[in-house]
Order: sequence, then C-alpha cells, then structure tokens
Amino acid sequence: MGLSSIGTANEEGVQLCIFDLRRGQREGQELDKILYFFPADLPLSSQLSVIGLSEGLITFTRIFSPDAACEVIEAERHSHVFYEAEPDIWMVMIVAKSKEAEAIWRIDALREVLKEIHSLFVMFHGCIRTLLDKEPGGGLTRAHLYPFVMDYLRDFLFGKKLQLPSFRDCLKERRTVQMLTVGREAAIEVQTLVRILESSAGNMPCFSLILFQDLLVSTTLSPEDTINMFTYAVLRLTPLALFSGAKSWSYLRKGNSSSHVSTGSTLFSTGSVLEQFYGSRDASPAGDNRYHVTRPLQHDKWFKGKDGFLVTDIWGGDIGSLNVTTPTVWLQQTEERMYLCAYQYKSLTLILLIPLSSILNGDQGVSIVKQQLLENASLKILKVEEKLSKGWGGENAYHVSGYRYLLVNGNRDISRASPPAKVTTLAKESLLALNKLREEVDAEKNRAKWDNPGREKDLEVCIRVKNNAWAIACITGGKELYMVLEKANETLLYASDAVEKFSNRYCNGAFSLD
Amino acid sequence: MIRNLSFEVKIQHNLKKCFYYDDGNKLLLSPTSNQVFSWKTAPFSPNAAPNIDSITEGPICSIRFSLDEKLIAVQRSNTSIIFFHRETGETFTHRCKSESESILGFFWTDCPSCDIVVVKTSGLDLYAYDHASKSLALVETKKMTVSWYVYTHESRLVLLASGMQCKTFHGFQLSSVGIIRLPKFEMVMAKPEANSKPVLASEDVYIVTVYGRIYCLQVDRVAMVLHSYRFYRDAIIQQGSLPIYSHKVAVSVVDNVLLVHQVDAKVIILYDIFSDSRAPISAPLPVLFRGFPRSDSFTSRPGTKESESLEASDSNDNEAIIYGEGWTFLVPDLICDVANMRLWKIHLDLEAISASSSEVPSVLEFLQRRKLEANKAKQLCLAITRTMILERRPINMVAKSMDVLVTSYALSLKAGSYFKGIKTERTSSSVPNVSGPGQGVDVNTGRTDGLGKSVQHESASRVNSVSVSRPSNYLSSETEDSSSFEPLKISSNDAQFDSGKVDTGAESSATGNPLNASVSEQQESQLTSPAISPDEMYRFVFAPAEEEMIGEPSYLVSIILEFFRSANLEKVKVHPNLYVLTVQLLARSEQYAELGLCVINKIIEPSKEVALQLLESGRQNFQIRKLGSDMLRQVSLHQDYVLLLVQDGYYLEALRYARKHKVTTIRPSLFLEAAMTSNDSQHLAAVLRFFSDFIPGFHSTSDFSTYYHILNEMNSSSVVA
Repeated sequence: MGLSSIGTANEEGVQLCIFDLRRGQREGQELDKILYFFPADLPLSSQLSVIGLSEGLITFTRIFSPDAACEVIEAERHSHVFYEAEPDIWMVMIVAKSKEAEAIWRIDALREVLKEIHSLFVMFHGCIRTLLDKEPGGGLTRAHLYPFVMDYLRDFLFGKKLQLPSFRDCLKERRTVQMLTVGREAAIEVQTLVRILESSAGNMPCFSLILFQDLLVSTTLSPEDTINMFTYAVLRLTPLALFSGAKSWSYLRKGNSSSHVSTGSTLFSTGSVLEQFYGSRDASPAGDNRYHVTRPLQHDKWFKGKDGFLVTDIWGGDIGSLNVTTPTVWLQQTEERMYLCAYQYKSLTLILLIPLSSILNGDQGVSIVKQQLLENASLKILKVEEKLSKGWGGENAYHVSGYRYLLVNGNRDISRASPPAKVTTLAKESLLALNKLREEVDAEKNRAKWDNPGREKDLEVCIRVKNNAWAIACITGGKELYMVLEKANETLLYASDAVEKFSNRYCNGAFSLD
Repeated sequence: MIRNLSFEVKIQHNLKKCFYYDDGNKLLLSPTSNQVFSWKTAPFSPNAAPNIDSITEGPICSIRFSLDEKLIAVQRSNTSIIFFHRETGETFTHRCKSESESILGFFWTDCPSCDIVVVKTSGLDLYAYDHASKSLALVETKKMTVSWYVYTHESRLVLLASGMQCKTFHGFQLSSVGIIRLPKFEMVMAKPEANSKPVLASEDVYIVTVYGRIYCLQVDRVAMVLHSYRFYRDAIIQQGSLPIYSHKVAVSVVDNVLLVHQVDAKVIILYDIFSDSRAPISAPLPVLFRGFPRSDSFTSRPGTKESESLEASDSNDNEAIIYGEGWTFLVPDLICDVANMRLWKIHLDLEAISASSSEVPSVLEFLQRRKLEANKAKQLCLAITRTMILERRPINMVAKSMDVLVTSYALSLKAGSYFKGIKTERTSSSVPNVSGPGQGVDVNTGRTDGLGKSVQHESASRVNSVSVSRPSNYLSSETEDSSSFEPLKISSNDAQFDSGKVDTGAESSATGNPLNASVSEQQESQLTSPAISPDEMYRFVFAPAEEEMIGEPSYLVSIILEFFRSANLEKVKVHPNLYVLTVQLLARSEQYAELGLCVINKIIEPSKEVALQLLESGRQNFQIRKLGSDMLRQVSLHQDYVLLLVQDGYYLEALRYARKHKVTTIRPSLFLEAAMTSNDSQHLAAVLRFFSDFIPGFHSTSDFSTYYHILNEMNSSSVVA
C-alpha cells in the first residue's frame, strides 16, 4: 500500500519529523510545534512523544554545547539523527537498528538526506521560518512541507519499503556534484556556450547549469545552489529522469518510478486526522484548497516540448495548451527568485536561471528569452552535444579496474565514484568494513572541526578486512579518497602503492604524500 | 574615400612620347632616334635618373633588355631584330628566314635551354645566345599559326591566339624549370547578333598572377563581363566571370589584389581572388593621386614632404587627369601616362579599403593576406580588433574575427614567414604557394635555385637603387615611418621573447642572402606577414581593451574565451599573461564557479603566473586559493608550495613535502617559528628533531639553540601550570 501505511504497518520503519522549538511552548498547544511528521497517520500523541523526546535531548545537550546541540542519539534499537535546518527548526530522523543486517546506517549519510530535503525545500519555497512568519498559524508551512517531503521520499520507495542510504551506499556521497570530465577543447566550447546562453537574456545577470546525461558539465551558480539545482535536475529533468521507467545509474534517483504511479493514488488517502491537520492533503490543481501549493518534486510532471524546452504544469497552467506558468526557484547566493528555463537536446540539459525582477511581463518575457536562446545558441548546442557525446565513455566511464572507490573533493563539493553496478560486486563484509571506517573518519573529521576550525586534517587509514580486502581512507587538503581493494595482496605496502598509483593517475597526485 | 594612389616618376623634356615597358627587367624604356633611356621601376623611386644607351638609328617596333641587361634587343620590322651589346657597342642582326612569316614580337627568358623567344606568325622560335660568336643559335621551333600573343615575365607564360575569332589559344610556360606546353583551349565570347563573329583582340586578354596562381582574364564587351580562367599544368579551367561597368577596362594586380579599372566610370573594383568568392572586397573606389598638389588627399596632409616630389616633376595643373587618354596600364601595377610623361605606381590604401566595409571578419581576412605593407596591415588589424571589442560588437562576429587572426598566425608559423625577417620580395615569387596540391602552373621564377642569372642581377641592382632613393612611398612616408618604427620600439622595451626572435630572423635571412644589403633601409619590410601572435593579441588588444573598458568585464571574458577556442583549434599557444588576465577578470566579477571550471578543465593552462594570480584572487574565495596552491604543486614549483604551506600554518605538511621533493632552500627558522607560534611543544620538538636529523651540523646553529631554549621553557611552563 502507500507510504503512509508502511509507517504504521512496520514499526521498524523510518520516522521523520520537522518541528519548531519556538512554537507550542505552552501547555495544550504542543501540536503547534509539529510542522511535519512521517508517517503522518501515526497518532498525534505518539508524534508528540517522539518530538518531546527530541526536544528534551536538544535542550539538555545545549547546556554543554550551546552552538551545536546533539547530532545523534544511539539508542538500543534506534538511531536518532538530528539536524538543525534553520535556527530552532529541527529535523529528526529515527531509524531502527534492525536485526536483519541490511539496516546498518552511516549517520552522516542520513543527515545528508535531511540536509537535502531542507535545501531543496528552500530552493522552491524559501526558508521555513519565512513561511512561518508569513502565516503564524503554521498551516501554510505544513501545507508546503507535507507534499514536498512525501514527493521526495517516494524516490526512496522500493516496492513497499523505504530504503534509506545504508552501508551499501558507503561509496557514494550525497550533497556533492558528479562531474563529466571533458577535454580542453570541449571545455572551451562549453564555456563559450555558457556565455551565449547567459547573454540570451540581454544584460540581466543570469545563471546557468549544463548537464550531460546525469553529470554536471558547467555551472555559474554558487556551490550550494549548484548542488541543489544539480540534484533537482538529476531527479526530475535529465533525459533519464524524464522517461520514467528508464534505468538510472545515478544513486540520486534509484527508485523505480513506475512503482510510484501505483502507490501514488493511495499515498494521500489516509485518515481524517491528517486531512484536518495538514490542511491540504492533495495539492492537485483541481482541488479546492486553502493554499495554492506547488509540488516541484511530483513525479512524471515534466515533459519535453516541441521546441526542446522542458515544460511542466506543476506551477500552474494547462500542459495541453502549453500555456503554463514558468517555474521559479529561489537562489541562496543572490537571495532572489529566478525563472527556471530548461532546454534539452539529446543528452544535453541546459538550465538557464533568469531573475524574476529583470523580466517585467512574466511568462511572455520568458518566452522571448527562450526564443533568443534558440536563435543564438542552437548551433553551438549541437556542436557541444556532439563533442561531449564523442568523448563520453558510457556509464562505466569512470570505472577503474581493480578499484572500488569514492573520491570527494570537499573544497568544491564534487565527488566521483565507481559505477554502482561495479560496487555491487563487492562482498558485504567489505562494504560493512568501509562503512565502519567512514563512520570513524566522519567522527574524526567532526572532532577536528571543533578542535581546530578552519584547519584541514590529513589522515590515512588502511584496514585489512576479514575477507582479505583492504578498506582505505585518505584525507588530505580537503580531499577524501575511500576505496576497497578485494582479492588484494596482504602487505600494507601493496595497499599504499595502490593508493599512490590511483592518486597519481586520477587525482593529480593529491594523495601521494608520503 | 581616398583609395589607391599613384606615383609619379620622371620626365625627360626632350623625349618623344614613346614608351616601352620591359617587364622582364622592370624597366621603362624610351628610345629616341639614337639613344635609349631606361628607368628602373623597381624599386619605385620618384626621382630616379635614367640610364642612357646608344643605339643606331632606325624604326623601333619593340625593345627589350636581356635579363642580364647586357644586351638590348630592338625589333626593327616584322622581319628583323637587332642586338646591341651595351658595353662593347657591338651589334648583330637576326632576320626571319622565310618570306612567308613575320615577327610578331619577342621576349627574353630564363628558361635553361634558351635565352630569347621570337614569336612569329608561324609559331615560336627558341634561341640560345652564343656569347662567343655573338649570334643566336636556334634551339627549338614550335609550329603553329599565331595571330597575336600575350606574355608576361611574371607568369613566364605566353598565350598564342589563333583562329578566325582569335579565341583559340595555345600556351607555353617557359620558366627556369623548363618548358610546359599547356593544352589548347578556347575562350568564350558572346555574339552581339546571330551571324556576327567578333574577333578577340590582344588588348582584351590579360595574364595576371595572384597568390602565385596564374589566371587569364578576358574582356567580353558584348556580355559586359570579365571571364577568368585559371591555368593548371594539364588543364585550363574557367573560373566564372566578373561583371564590368565600362566599355574600357584594364586590369592591375597589387599585392595579390586584383584591380579592375572601370575606365569610363573612373573607379576601381577590387577583388581578392583567394577563396572561391567572386564578391568585390568593397564598393567601387576612386583613384586618388598622392604626391600631387591638386589631389584631395593632399590638403589634409602636412606639406613638408611634398616639395621634394614637386621638384622632380614638371607638374602642370592640367596633368591631374585620372584615366586620361594617354594612360597605359603596365603589368602588374604601373600606369604610364604617356601624354604627361609620368609613370604612376598603384598603391593600395589599406586604411580606406578597410574603412569602406563593415564586415569585420572579411576585412581582417583581406588585411591578413597583404604582404607589401605587412606592418601597416598588422597595425590596422590590431586597431580594428581593439575597436570591435570596445564597441561590444556581437560575440559571433568577434569570434569569427578571432578565427581569422589565429588561423592566419598559424599559417604564417607553418610557412615560417612570421619570424622571418626580410626576404627580398618580388611580388609574385615569394608568395607562399597557396594553390593547394601543387598541380597548378605556378609562378616559379627560379628564386629557389638561386644560381639563376636573373635573380642575382636583380638583387645586385637593387642594392644600387636603394642606396639612391628612399622608399618609393614618399608622401605617406611620414605615417609609414611612424608605423614602421613602432614594432622596433615595442620589441626593445618589452618581452625578450619577441625581440629575440625578430633578430634571429633578420640575421638568418641576411646570411642566407648576402646581396640583401637594403635590409636596414626599409624598416617596413621587416615584416613579411601581418600575422598577429597571441602575445601581441594580449599586449595590443586584450590588455588595452581591459584598461579602456568600464563596467562588467563579462563581455571581455567571452571574447577571450573565443580567442582560446580559436587558438586551441589551431594549436597555437596562448601567452600566460592572458590567462592571468582572465583569472583577474573572472575574480573581479565574482564568477568563481566559472573560474574554477576554467582551471579544472585547463582552459586556463597551469603556470606559475596563473598559480600566483589564483592565490592572489583567492583572498576572497577559499576555493580559488585552493586551486592556486594545487596548481603550484602541479607545475612542480616545490619551493613556492612549501612556503605557502608554512604561511598557512601547515608547517608539518610542508616539512613532509619538502623532504619528499628535496626542497632545501627554505630557512629552518621559518618552520620553527611557525611551530612556535602554534604553541604546541610537541610540534616544535618534532620540527627541531626533523632538522637535527636531516641537516648536518644543525645542532651547532643559533637556530637550534634558540628554539631548543624556547622548547625547554615551553615544557617547564606547562609542567608548572
């Protein structure tokens, strides 16, 4: 059945809540705190007890660490992951530690999910606090949060089960961008295309993002905005995302979207408690709602128009008549709302963001810009697509035989990893070992952050796993390299040689320090 | 607008108005009853004095000096040619053998097997001159009927007309490599009415040499077009037609530009027949006299230099008649005004031509092909490009222009002309052979074989004449001087890079051709190609543009990116300074994301300059600074990298790196101080230990004792605490 039923049916399922510490502080008004709760049909009393516990923990830990209260509570059967999304607005995820061994989590990876939800939400709807200020009753905020998070969580739905990132995903890094490696010539072509794109809107300060398949080719956005826009594009806009049912190799979109259709209908058809509390259950445009809520993460809502531009009726309008409202997003860098124009040609997806303030006559102005874009850039787009396609090595392009790796450049929020299909060949033991190692490294990193803010820590750990694999972590100058070497020689020298080789070959020798 | 100008040479009062042009030696000849006056036309000088040779009296049909200028051949009639030896005064006469044939004309040749070719109604006779017996020996005869012929020494090509309409042609090229017989071909002629058959006249056929290719142009007055034919070794191919707007037309070639004089309309239409395009370069342009008091251009110019020219000329007011009755067009670029006894040399006013077209890329293309005034063309290109950027013209157009300039530079590198100093240049011969896969009948004047008598003598004579006269272009010499001086100035006060190469170029050419004494006379010819190097693009286009442009640097970055694209396509290396500028511009407009991509994807190529600029610009952005330090490591600037690490407080990492990459030049005290300020006694001890272990005798240095003392204090104080 639907998502919401999972939560109740399976007590070992996931709970996720968002609440505001500044609200509901008087007795009898506790419900005010709750901004979002999953599963939604959990009795309100149970919801309140979960939030009450979290609140208590936060208040307690703040005594010792006012600036950064608790991050995680490990109970016997559950892990509570905390994330303070905005001042006093907390997101808490509770996952069960199941006896079935699959439920082994890396806390930082779960926290990244919370961060992702929040960042994407802010990109479309602005800060939660702002929404709360706009309508102190909280109805508006709840009406936005509920469908948004639900739509987001559907991507993690496998059959009837929510599958959050587990130890099997330890060679992946959420909240980073995956980039296409391009040669100098192609890079120059891309960069000149960017210039042409951004000049389509005249002298207005625009931003753009170019993706090839599910990989980033170019961005002019700030790192944070880039991550958000990239994530959204991969989730909903790239060719692989558009054709639902298509096999994806990006971990951002691992669910099989065809299953969403069947569950979608039942997802929101729950009890009346929910209906009253969240106000708007189903934000379908036809519905008679108190609030007009757009659902940017809704599935199967984007289409490729005849002119190559991607269209959606999520923001209103009628897809049949192509008379749709242009989507908008909110950028953190400029603190400004932007029109989002996405154009697609074969594997190439181009996203142009134009400030709302610079276009006076709304959708009409946007269509002029689109026209301009087609006139100026069409040829160049063909050329760039051709160049990139020629240099594209397929989904296994970044596979390095013998290695299963994850390379994270924390300075630039970029990561690259062995293709998921290759990672699945690893033994469970190896993955568990690396997951454990990453937990340790995470802890070490966090400690270093507190001890010595602004300083980077260098670190190198090689662990021999029971199944004779090596699990390795190297950190230097803000760059991180994790790898698993199976069927490897037993000497440590071999392991460090392997790292050295990899580093020299693929990382400009960044990890080659003695 | 002002267009091409002419040059006025010489007048001799007592001469009959009878001129001959000897294109083999580039001599203007004027015979009197018993003398021949000869003026050198190359190099062109306004006040060259004539040479005077004595000949016997008699009628003169045509007159030509032998290529070694030792003999003068005068055609007396259609049966005889008389030869005078200039030094000894000896003469001998050559006569037609048969009564049935008559001599149409003759020319001297540098063909290895013969020296002189006599064109007769019955065909060609090829003779060798025998020095000993002072007579001609028949080498070969080519039999065919000939109505008339055309020949230019420049092309070494003789075309023989035959048939009722004189439109059937046989052709021979007699060059220093040998004789090539071209296939017979017919020219096209429109019929005015059904049954009339116009006869083609020799004045209507021109042989022109452009970019080393040989064309024939044929005037068709009925169709009012100029047909063009291109000559290949084994074929003659019609190349299309150019419209004409005047019944009287003439054709000149200046610096590979084809000039079609529309005599009736008194304008010239210019064509650059390099590519397939048959479109004129610009709108029809008028001819203007320079160095002539009545011309419009004159008034705007300072008058000082004019006087010289006036002295030399007997100018009267009525002489300034453009396309007057007496104008004779001599190949390739001279006009003889018989009526006024003046010789004009046609000169392209590149400035005016480029100003008359708004299509910047094609103007640049045109200018990049100019060899005669390479420096001027270059300066114009730089100015045009700069202006285009300052005016913020559409990026597409600027991109095309960048392509033109970079492609031209790459070509000139390949041809070796960019760094070459002077090559003595006779228009046609030193033009790089651009005609593709070599099957064209190209002009090959034997410059390469170097032993050819004609070449040596030409060079020798050039030495003489240059010492006599300043560059021909005396009127505009003011501007010319300044512009030709510029590159010298530049190379002296700027990068070693440039001046060095220019010098070597000049040297090598000087050694290669010792006769080339005129080198220093004419600065302008220092440049044989107007190609612009990336370094010059930076110094004369991008850097000034950056200074002058106000506001958003985004446009300039777009242009620079287009330049990178062109340079990359042509595999031309970009000057590091331009990368530095790009970093500055992107950082200034806070386009850090793009800057990052440019560095990561190596659009901005790594170098020390760029790394340092990234560190500098990275003061505001951590990511950019990181890229800078990564680049230092990447380009193996180990010492700078270690210093940077220490500076940022990563002294232990710095030591590790220094040890690995054997950096020994940094003072230990730097590390010790850094360790001390971190207030960590363990670290300080580690650093001390490091130097004690790896630097022999470190124990006895003052550094050691100082910091050892400090370490002890640290430890004792911590114990106390």
